[in-house]
Amino acid sequence: MSTQNRFDLEDWASSYRDTLSENWFAYLLILPVLAFLVLLMWLPFAQGFYMSFNDWPFGGDPTWVGLENYLFLFGWEPFFTSLRATLVFSLTTVLQLGVALVAALAVREIRRGKSFITGVFLISYTVPPLVTGTIWAYLLQPDLGPLFGYLSQWGLLEETIYWGSDGAASLGVILFVTTWTFWPFMFLIISASLESIPEELYESARMYGAGRVQTFLRVTLPQLKSAILVALSIRIIWNMTKISQVLQLTNGGPGYDTSILAVLLYRFAYGQGRMGVAYAVGVILLIMTIGFVFVFIREFERTSEGPQ
Amino acid sequence: MSTDDFDVTAVTLKATTYGVISFLVLFNLVVLAFIFSVSFMPPSEFFGAPHIIPQNPTLEAWTSGFQELRDNLVNSFLIGLGTTIVALAISIPGAYAFARKEFYGKRAGFYAIISAMMFPYILLVIPIMDLWNDLGLYNTIPGMIIAYQVFVTPFAIWILRDFFAKLPTDIEEAAQVYGCTQFTAFLRVILPLATPGIVAVGFLAFLTGWNDFLFANLLTTGTGPVPAVPVLYGTIGGGSGERVYWGKLMAETLIIGTPPTILYLVARNYLENAFTV
Repeated sequence: MSTQNRFDLEDWASSYRDTLSENWFAYLLILPVLAFLVLLMWLPFAQGFYMSFNDWPFGGDPTWVGLENYLFLFGWEPFFTSLRATLVFSLTTVLQLGVALVAALAVREIRRGKSFITGVFLISYTVPPLVTGTIWAYLLQPDLGPLFGYLSQWGLLEETIYWGSDGAASLGVILFVTTWTFWPFMFLIISASLESIPEELYESARMYGAGRVQTFLRVTLPQLKSAILVALSIRIIWNMTKISQVLQLTNGGPGYDTSILAVLLYRFAYGQGRMGVAYAVGVILLIMTIGFVFVFIREFERTSEGPQ
Repeated sequence: MSTDDFDVTAVTLKATTYGVISFLVLFNLVVLAFIFSVSFMPPSEFFGAPHIIPQNPTLEAWTSGFQELRDNLVNSFLIGLGTTIVALAISIPGAYAFARKEFYGKRAGFYAIISAMMFPYILLVIPIMDLWNDLGLYNTIPGMIIAYQVFVTPFAIWILRDFFAKLPTDIEEAAQVYGCTQFTAFLRVILPLATPGIVAVGFLAFLTGWNDFLFANLLTTGTGPVPAVPVLYGTIGGGSGERVYWGKLMAETLIIGTPPTILYLVARNYLENAFTV
């Protein structure tokens, strides 16, 4: 029995050594990037998660408080304002997809000037988001900005709108600017995948007498499925964590009306130095994003497999 | 064919196509033209009726903008460049191994890296701030270059692996027959063929380093090497309270926005290939 055991162990050890000696070069190649991600992502995340159960002033020593940070948030009125803002704000992903899909389909139809057109489309995405945030902060400035200036000059508006003091209007402005800034990312992915749909598919659809709508639903959309899936999942998460434009345009105000969770995290961390509470907000944000992506992927799989 | 001329749907479709494209193009161009023209207006012209052609054009906004941002632009450039170099140095070997080597744990390792793309990075700022404080990396350029690798490397591995995987399977062995070692085969055959992917990744890395606000703002203080983007925030969002000179601010947005746009125009052909999912 014992010899048998030792035999197994030796066997295991030697196969372990074999794997290592056969593949050492490959392991060496992936080591740097793995090390970076473990050290920069998973360890800090683990530390932060632990800290969300602590009272932790910036630069100071943490004290264990259990669930108190979370309980504080759930008993705090502005937190729910923030949650609602986050839900409304997540609409930007849908808007981005809509604009990107329409633009990609339109660009596919035209023959000339494609490169100029996509070049112009991409400007808002290549420039730093804070820069575009600054540009819109000026264009939409109620007193000196040109948009309201022209609207009242042309008599379309009685007097300027101070959207900064109205929660719903502020949220609208942020939705608009975020959508304008980030739709080209989805456009890039969708149009790259649109170009790679083989022409034969369209020809055979035509041969079978499929109309435009049918061709779109049966050929184009299924072929775009994985591109849309990737683009949407990435953007859902990235949109939720974009804070620069919100901070530049409204600073999360008025009150907490435009403080989406990421901005709330920033306000606790940077404004008040309450790192424990800030990280508790972060954990809630993470759970929400995972939920969003999960539900969305499941729905996507279901609807795209249903009618076929 | 003649029915095509009277096909109502075809005509509407065409009209919609051109309508959508002109709207989106004009929207961006008008915004750009407006910002450009406003950057030549002296402060006094911002009061009163809005107009697009400056009445007393001046270069004041541009010169004072440049002066204010000079050091920050250098910092941004160093951060962007450093981010690119480090990202390429660690993700090229990794992507190569994932694309062209067989080894135990390959799938798990790949997904461990790719899933990082799905992580809300804002969650990392606080622990990294704390860690950087302990390590002496807080408020330094290398500190930011290292921190940006979290954003860049998962994306880089994702794009580069595809490029390496598309190359013919026996190409390294063929090179070795002609006297290359495993390493020189990689250097002289594989790398040149993967140039489009490498350019795309390099561009995205530089863009991250140049464009980012979150880490740039939270990992620096006024006393350290501040990149250009947080300066813009300091002027209005940060609320210094003084009156904003919009002309200068708009000149600054153009100054900060131009380098990434030029780089994009240079790299765009490579980028469109890289994004095929």
